Amino acid sequence: MDYEFAYSFKKPQLTNNWILDMNPLSKLNLLIILFIIPITVQSWKWNVMIIIFYFLVALVAGCFKRFTRLYLRFGLMVGLLLFVLRALFIPGENLLYKLWFINITQEGVDSGLQFSTLVVAICGAIILYSIVTRAKDFMYMIEKLGASRVISYVILSSFQSIIDLGEMSKVILDSQRARGIETEGNIRQRIKAFIPILGPLFLGAISNAEEKAIAMDARAFSMPIKNTHLCHLRSLPVGEKAILIAANIAFIGFVVWRLMA
Amino acid sequence: MSYIELKQVSYQYPLASEWALNDVTYSFEKGKLYGIIGANRGGKTTLCNLVRGFIPHFYQGELMGQVLIEGKDIREWENHQLSTEIGYIFQNPFSQISGVKETVFEEIALGLENLGVDKDEMIERTIQVVKWLKLEDLIKKNPNNLSGGQRQRVAFASIIVMNHDILVIDEPTSQLDPSSTAEVFEIIHMLKEQKKTILLVEHKVELIAEYADEVLVFEKGQIASYGSPADILSRKDLMERGISIPSVALLGHEMREKNMAMDSIPITKSQALEQILKGGKNDD
Ligand SMILES: Nc1ncnc2c1ncn2[C@@H]1O[C@H](COP(=O)(O)OP(=O)(O)OP(=O)(O)O)[C@@H](O)[C@H]1O
Ligand SMILES: [Mg+2]
Repeated sequence: MDYEFAYSFKKPQLTNNWILDMNPLSKLNLLIILFIIPITVQSWKWNVMIIIFYFLVALVAGCFKRFTRLYLRFGLMVGLLLFVLRALFIPGENLLYKLWFINITQEGVDSGLQFSTLVVAICGAIILYSIVTRAKDFMYMIEKLGASRVISYVILSSFQSIIDLGEMSKVILDSQRARGIETEGNIRQRIKAFIPILGPLFLGAISNAEEKAIAMDARAFSMPIKNTHLCHLRSLPVGEKAILIAANIAFIGFVVWRLMA
Repeated sequence: MSYIELKQVSYQYPLASEWALNDVTYSFEKGKLYGIIGANRGGKTTLCNLVRGFIPHFYQGELMGQVLIEGKDIREWENHQLSTEIGYIFQNPFSQISGVKETVFEEIALGLENLGVDKDEMIERTIQVVKWLKLEDLIKKNPNNLSGGQRQRVAFASIIVMNHDILVIDEPTSQLDPSSTAEVFEIIHMLKEQKKTILLVEHKVELIAEYADEVLVFEKGQIASYGSPADILSRKDLMERGISIPSVALLGHEMREKNMAMDSIPITKSQALEQILKGGKNDD
């Protein structure tokens, strides 16, 4: 029996990485700031700086790979799409390039750059938060803030079931492939391969959900008392408090300055 | 007073065309282990759902007759009271893992968190159950990545740790190999010694013969027969109805057909051995 592990729950479980060990609410606070800055500034250069800053944070938090994989996939897709749409269709005076009936203008490119980096920056805040915050710390926090166990469970397990759905669809696609159904190739072929699995996928998920609800009830989820916690978070260290206060004051100062300018 | 009492209970799942239970009357006494056997779709799981109150608290459908737990009608029990009174280990190990805990240790402690047990006691009780179920090697693993058999043992531990007086256990060994099965039965036996009342659905009749106080045979939503293991599990006619009986009982029947002396049909190995040794001496 690994008593050391069992008794480790008596203390807050720290990773010794100061970003990861930060209180989930502190992190939320800081990321909300990063979330609002691009909205107030409206400059693609700021957006790019913030995006680069996210990569740095992920690096320091030791989650660079995970963050990058998720973020690039998203950033490349959504960012490019938004940029292209804006660049192609926003009218303007300064023509850069003429392509058949489409006019690409300087205004269109600027607006595309601005809008796509803004969306990518905002989503970066959310993705970064989900990567540097452990689900159970978040659950603990929202329960401490008064959310019921059932609510925090539903939130967490929805995230889990998104992962499950992804894995299940992989399993089903593999078996489709084994039966000789084309699942690779162009988008049309892929969609054609995917449609027949949606039924079983969602039906399966729903019937699992019913069973799971009962199974969790057997674990006393419906108790009308305040639950306790096996894991707890440390109380806010002084340094963290100081950072938060400084960041919030700086942020408010910044916003006031932008409004005046 | 009987502990759990069913009076002319019939139940039909929503949208189902047949009755899953049909006019069932039985009373369960405190501190006994009831072995519940029967062919597939016989109504065993439905009985479990009923006794735990998932019917009618969760499953709608049509319920007739009365189910009394400690003399109080199941409809009058609050659902959360039942979750502290009656533990339920489900047939399907996959739906029983919460999916939100990172280690098996935390998964097992989840029920205690919900019961509001304080941290130190929670850790001690979890350690105890981990040792009991020999899960030491699993405690740091992610519960979402376990095999079926491992999940089943973790699910078992997650309920045992809550220390209920009544346990409803639906095929706890369906995913287990023989040695893990034997271990689980060892534990069920210990739970019985702790005076728990246990309803155990199990196809492995050898184990029912060994441990049960009473046996109930379910067939088409009804209790087809009930009685002591010695009475029920020695009956050859169960075989014709799709229910197996212990192989030593079959052996006993065959020996009797060959006119060998048999006081009674054995249902466990030790009984069989006793009979055979006695027979051997008579020949001397
Ligand atoms: N959730 C449900 N909804 C509708 N009908 C159900 C449900 N669960 C079981 N039934 C039906 O009720 C009847 C009894 O099933 P039950 O699951 O109680 O049998 P069982 O003895 O546990 O079988 P098994 O050995 O396969 O576990 C069956 O006809 C079954 O189809
Ligand atoms: Mg069943």
